[in-house]
Amino acid sequence: MSEVIVQIVASGLTIGAMYAVSTIGLSLVYGSLGMLNMAHGAILTFGGYIAYYIATTLGLPPLLGGLAAVAVGALLGLAVYIVAAQPLLRSRSFETSIFIATIGVGTVLENVMLKLFGAYPLPQPLAVGGDLEIGGVHIPYQNILILAISLLLMAAVALLLKRTRIGRAVRATAQNREAAQLMGVRVGTVYALVLALSGALAAISGIMISSLTTLSPTMGADPMLKAFIICVVAGLGNIYGAVVSALLLGLLEAIAQYVVGVRFGFATLLVLVIVVLIWRPYGLFGHRQVVRL
Amino acid sequence: MATPLLTVDAISAGYLGRDVLRELSLEIADGALVAIIGPNGHGKTTLLRAISGLLPLHGGRVALGGADIHRRRPDEIVAAGIVHVPQGDMLFPEMTVLENLQMGAYLPAAAAKMGERLDEVFALLPKLAERRGQVASTLSGGERRMVGVGRGLMTGGRLLMLDEPSLGLAPIVIDQIYDVIVRLKASGRTILLVEESVARVVDKADRIHLLDNGRFVWQGAGGELMSRPEILATYLGG
Repeated sequence: MSEVIVQIVASGLTIGAMYAVSTIGLSLVYGSLGMLNMAHGAILTFGGYIAYYIATTLGLPPLLGGLAAVAVGALLGLAVYIVAAQPLLRSRSFETSIFIATIGVGTVLENVMLKLFGAYPLPQPLAVGGDLEIGGVHIPYQNILILAISLLLMAAVALLLKRTRIGRAVRATAQNREAAQLMGVRVGTVYALVLALSGALAAISGIMISSLTTLSPTMGADPMLKAFIICVVAGLGNIYGAVVSALLLGLLEAIAQYVVGVRFGFATLLVLVIVVLIWRPYGLFGHRQVVRL
Repeated sequence: MATPLLTVDAISAGYLGRDVLRELSLEIADGALVAIIGPNGHGKTTLLRAISGLLPLHGGRVALGGADIHRRRPDEIVAAGIVHVPQGDMLFPEMTVLENLQMGAYLPAAAAKMGERLDEVFALLPKLAERRGQVASTLSGGERRMVGVGRGLMTGGRLLMLDEPSLGLAPIVIDQIYDVIVRLKASGRTILLVEESVARVVDKADRIHLLDNGRFVWQGAGGELMSRPEILATYLGG
């Protein structure tokens, strides 16, 4: 029995940490710009494919593939700002317009990937083999690596927001955009940076997710949906809440898969969202007012 | 006459294509305290927002120390030396008092003098030194107002614009805030003050402008206004 618990906890934390990386990007963007980035899943997938292209097709070192994926993810995030967010910022119905515009960007990216890499599932080369045995349970090194990288990334983002000048500008913009402008913050730069950072994080999470499954042009849809669920459960725009919620939901999904079966894992998440929204419409970690970074 | 610190020349501005301000002009001399009074909804806040660049102009020009600033972004206007303490404070609610003040010193020129200015702000508003570690959203209304003013002072601008510093405060707290304003003027600061009530500014302002329906309908020294009961009755209801 204890082996089962270790197994569930290990797999739940890995899934949760992976979700957390893609969720903090989404949550940062919502917190600062008030936009739901529907292209997030496609950027995530693109990151996975870039790593594949560099490491497998070009045969270059896998680490270089990872770095290239991060760079491309950041550029795609920046592209979302330039082609969609910036032109719509002054629009009166920004939240709706940007939602639809980013669906468009996501669809374009998906079709580009379909054209470049085809529809067949491909293996992610950025993975390590072998496993670690703890008390009769085998935990793959890949899972441990994913957990470690995720925790490192989350700590790095927290430090960036709390301790750096640009991080303070991001928080200030999220908490009161006009006041930030009156302090001399150039909000356009903050928005561009946040989208680029979110794109880079999405790319890393794309590599991690595809290393446990496979690469396909539409693989981003499921993690993006889960990232949205985590955001809503945490309270939209609250990134610390998002990290905790991601880990909790990862564990919950692992438990549900074990107890009631794999196909009920996702359904359990959806039921949970409904319960949370009835009980606390502002999210688990939200205040009654909108909580920002 | 020397170049005024601020020149507002026939500006028009508003929302959704409708002009709230109509060809409004204003000059502020270096070191002066100028008050804009008038009923709510007649463009006082709009004027400050237009000067600080939050609201684009439909026409006219704004110059600080003779240099045009009206086509610049808000962050550039702050860098040029205009401090806008907005109505209702607009603090960063999840940040501490100290973090709010540090945000005031965000621009490189202000950051270089942050330590010195922080001492000045704490000397002027000692309550903020006491509360430095407290999260802004948990402060009282008066404390919040002081953080708003202190944060503005941290930017180190040459012109301080205050939008209804008495709004929503108890009379005793309003007196404290006005004490601070008088001391800032005494130390040589140029101040543009927006206020709804004549009584609060009449003995403190060098000049008073009465804003009604997007235009100045009267301007002059404070004492002069008190000797014109018909103006007070017409525009401010007595």
